[in-house]
Amino acid sequence: MQNEESLVQRARQHDQEAFAQLYEEYFDKIYRYVALKIGDRTEAEDMTQQVFVKALRSISSFRWKGRPFSAWLFRIAHNLIVDYLRKRSRRATVPLAEPVPAGNEDPQQAAERRLDIDRLALATRQLTEAQREVISLRFAGELPIAQVARVMGKNEGAVKALQHSAIAALRRALRTQDNDE
Amino acid sequence: MTSREFDNILDECLERLLVKGETIEQCLQSYPEQASELEPLLRTALATGEAVDFQPRPEFRAKARYQFRSALREMEGGSRRSLSGWFPRWATSVAIVLVVLVAGSGTVAAASNSMPDSPLYSVKLATEQVRLVLTPSPLGKAEFCASLADRRVEEILYVAGKGNPRQVERVTRELDVCLTRLSSLTSSQGEKGGVMLAPTPAPAPAEVAPESADAGERTYSQENSRLKLKLALKHHAQSHPAALREKLKTVPPSTRAALLRAIAVSEDGYEKALKTLD
Repeated sequence: MQNEESLVQRARQHDQEAFAQLYEEYFDKIYRYVALKIGDRTEAEDMTQQVFVKALRSISSFRWKGRPFSAWLFRIAHNLIVDYLRKRSRRATVPLAEPVPAGNEDPQQAAERRLDIDRLALATRQLTEAQREVISLRFAGELPIAQVARVMGKNEGAVKALQHSAIAALRRALRTQDNDE
Repeated sequence: MTSREFDNILDECLERLLVKGETIEQCLQSYPEQASELEPLLRTALATGEAVDFQPRPEFRAKARYQFRSALREMEGGSRRSLSGWFPRWATSVAIVLVVLVAGSGTVAAASNSMPDSPLYSVKLATEQVRLVLTPSPLGKAEFCASLADRRVEEILYVAGKGNPRQVERVTRELDVCLTRLSSLTSSQGEKGGVMLAPTPAPAPAEVAPESADAGERTYSQENSRLKLKLALKHHAQSHPAALREKLKTVPPSTRAALLRAIAVSEDGYEKALKTLD
């Protein structure tokens, strides 16, 4: 991708193509991050669109100042998720499983993959909020540790420690699931 | 070793595993003393990385992209309305298209041959979207989608040759969107007389009015075009997966999974499109 800072600068000046490039770069990452955190396909799709519309409306207020665009964008997603979880009603959710299999994936493979995702989503509920955030940003959002630290407002050392404890907790949660089955 | 040092080693191994495509064993070889503590964590991390590697539905991706582009245009239009408020809307649209065609033709031309690793690639994708929208008939759109699928496969071969799995995945998603749209055009539009290949019953000689001669020629020409589309798709359905499979022999291991997915998307996409034309 073209230098991100210059793209953001152009997007701030209403350059459509620059914003479209940023959209293409981050669309999947934001979708996965949202989907893993809320565990509902339909809501994740709606919210992913909301993230980009909100970003589009407020891009002129973005100032680089050492905080990368990704941190700003994921922060928008994080705030929307917090609002959503606060208001979430008791209506049935649409599992993540359906959008997962690509193209003509074998049904058996699809079933195994579905198990993985459902188990993962369930296991992340055993984590603290901060641990869940690190897992979502690092693995679903594919952010390097420095950017995870920016999004979370922590230093890199603290995030690395959190990452360690999160993976260990996730492992324990998955093993507990195995024992229960 | 302090816990901070271990946290750094774990993070380094995660980068090597998830970003550079190295194996757990390679990481453990670098840190034999920490291997017993590292291994279970890396296995969990790898499983997590694989589980979250899911894609948005192609229909959602296409719809979201369209809506986002519309929002972009609306926003741009809103910021200029004060200057062009007196201008009829259709005239504004025509003027914008003309300005883009004239002023942007250099960039657009330069972008037309760009590859996914070029800054102009997104201009190329955007230009294709504009062309698709401006293409009048469902059959024309389907033909254009078929040519786009051909381009996408060329691009996948190019980025796979560069050993770039991320870009292979990105272009594969574009290929998936393209083939899904192609199927949708050839199936739903077919019922409206757009891309249907089923022969229309010929009218009895007494029913043929002189003014229907032109219509008859048009129908013949359309059917001819549809047949050409079907033949082109049949050819692509064999040649594209074959070319991708051939490439599989020479790409680095880190790119294989992405390329295998491209093969699956290509096979499945053409099979679906061809079924709608049967």
